[in-house]
Amino acid sequence: MTWLRALVPQTKWQATFLLVLFVFLFSLPAWGGDYWVRIFTGVTMWAALALSWNVIGGYAGYISFGQVAFFGIGAYTTGLLMQQGRDWNFFATLPIGAILAGVVAVIIGWPVLKLRGAYFAIATWALAEALMQVATAAGFTGGSSGMSLPTNSSTSFFYYVMLVAAVLTFILCYLLLERGRFGYRVKAVRDHEAAAESVGIDTTRVKIQAFVLSAVIPAVFGGIFAYWITFINPQSVLSGEITDQMVVMALVGGLGRIWGPALGAAVLYLINRQFLAVFGDTTSYIAVIGALVALIVLFLPDGLISLGSRARNMRLAQQLITRAIPRAAPPGSVDQPKTKERA
Amino acid sequence: MTVLDVRELRRSFGGIRAVGGVSFSVGDQEIVGIIGPNGSGKSTLFNLLTGVVRSDSGQIHLNGRNITSWKPHRIARAGMGRTFQIPALFVNMTVKENLFASIVEGDWKAAPERADFVLDLMNLEHVPHMLAGSLSGGQQRLLEFGRVLMRDTQLILLDEVTAGVHPNLRKIILAAVRRLQADGRAFLVIEHDMEMVRTICQRVIVMDAGEIVAQGSFDEIASNKSVVEAYLGVPVE
Repeated sequence: MTWLRALVPQTKWQATFLLVLFVFLFSLPAWGGDYWVRIFTGVTMWAALALSWNVIGGYAGYISFGQVAFFGIGAYTTGLLMQQGRDWNFFATLPIGAILAGVVAVIIGWPVLKLRGAYFAIATWALAEALMQVATAAGFTGGSSGMSLPTNSSTSFFYYVMLVAAVLTFILCYLLLERGRFGYRVKAVRDHEAAAESVGIDTTRVKIQAFVLSAVIPAVFGGIFAYWITFINPQSVLSGEITDQMVVMALVGGLGRIWGPALGAAVLYLINRQFLAVFGDTTSYIAVIGALVALIVLFLPDGLISLGSRARNMRLAQQLITRAIPRAAPPGSVDQPKTKERA
Repeated sequence: MTVLDVRELRRSFGGIRAVGGVSFSVGDQEIVGIIGPNGSGKSTLFNLLTGVVRSDSGQIHLNGRNITSWKPHRIARAGMGRTFQIPALFVNMTVKENLFASIVEGDWKAAPERADFVLDLMNLEHVPHMLAGSLSGGQQRLLEFGRVLMRDTQLILLDEVTAGVHPNLRKIILAAVRRLQADGRAFLVIEHDMEMVRTICQRVIVMDAGEIVAQGSFDEIASNKSVVEAYLGVPVE
């Protein structure tokens, strides 16, 4: 099958990296202890959430500040369906939340994706705020008091559910955006909409498809999150801070790159947790994140993920690699003129 | 056989008439030039033909199909390709990715082979992995033209494709135009370079103030009084 072949790593380095990552993540509960399992449950969730924002923000070029709306839709769908009396199976609630989020994305996306830049950002932000007000005022959501879900005390259960969902999300996005025609369509729309139209791309349809993809992912993770924390209210699943985190993680990791959000999520979430562990509940973390974002915007506009390619392009790094592994460097590569190439 | 047939096409922006009742046709394997002073409506005419701007009235037929009011992507799929006055590239994608992106709605399986052919034809075979945004101005023109060639277009609209291009690169573009004409493609070319118009265009349309003031062979329009007035103005009595 073509899609299966597309998943085969292209280099030995990629294969080794993926194997180590796979073994590390899947064996973590066996040796990591509850604390680290909980931490990495968070890392995997935020990696997928940041990737979902990256689909619309990084790949399609539409800066959305309303992604939390879809996270909340997923969380409330799972919460409502698992209430006593309905007693839905947890796994059955996830696709329902995803479908609902997808439908909302189509309805909202049709008019809103005609806007560009700040107008689109404001429109999506307004959607999330409106949804938060509805959840706060409506009776069936429990209003500001929120709602409780059945409890499941197994840390490993949520870790593996989150991990499998995140892995599937990354595979889906990789196949669609990096190995398929859809990725070319989305990136073409991002770079020049009129030019994309001139080569036959239906830009309206592509934008809505990208928006739906970026909406379905947080809905699934919203559902898992709701069951994990066993209690949700508008503040915990519809707060604008959730979107902010997705944006910052994608930005720090690298916009428009498949691994960027995962890297950003891992770095920022680990820093956040360590700050909490060392300094307690402090706001100094926000100052550190602010400084980090400023540094990245100034010196690494393509995010932390670009460090690898930058290092490869550096003359010193090339010389060091040549000395260490003489056969690794192509002949004359050290003295070749520096050209701006895709990493 | 007529590839493009335009009848009484009109478009105004507010009170300003950009294109007023333009009619012309482009035949099979024909290269038709459109010239005229700045603001004469040439680029608006291209935008009307490609569906970027909707006409107020008039009809456009491509290969016998009425494409008036069609959306740009439908017109492109129907067989019309274009370049823009300012190169419109997918700047964050590589040269090869730009070519691949232009065939996503076409014969995808043939994309690698076709891309190699276009890279060779446009003399871009040494920069396939460079980002489009980092190419020189001339190379960007070549890539944009090459992107049109990735698809099976019957009519290609070139908007000042040789503007600001090095003479060597211009030769590549001209050779490609001739080769593609021989392969059965028709061209509609906006151009300010009269030498290029004289060299490749079998027929020339002259526009001024949104209207066609003359059309014919290059020699005919060069001796036409209206054309001289449109370009140089009317002498003071």
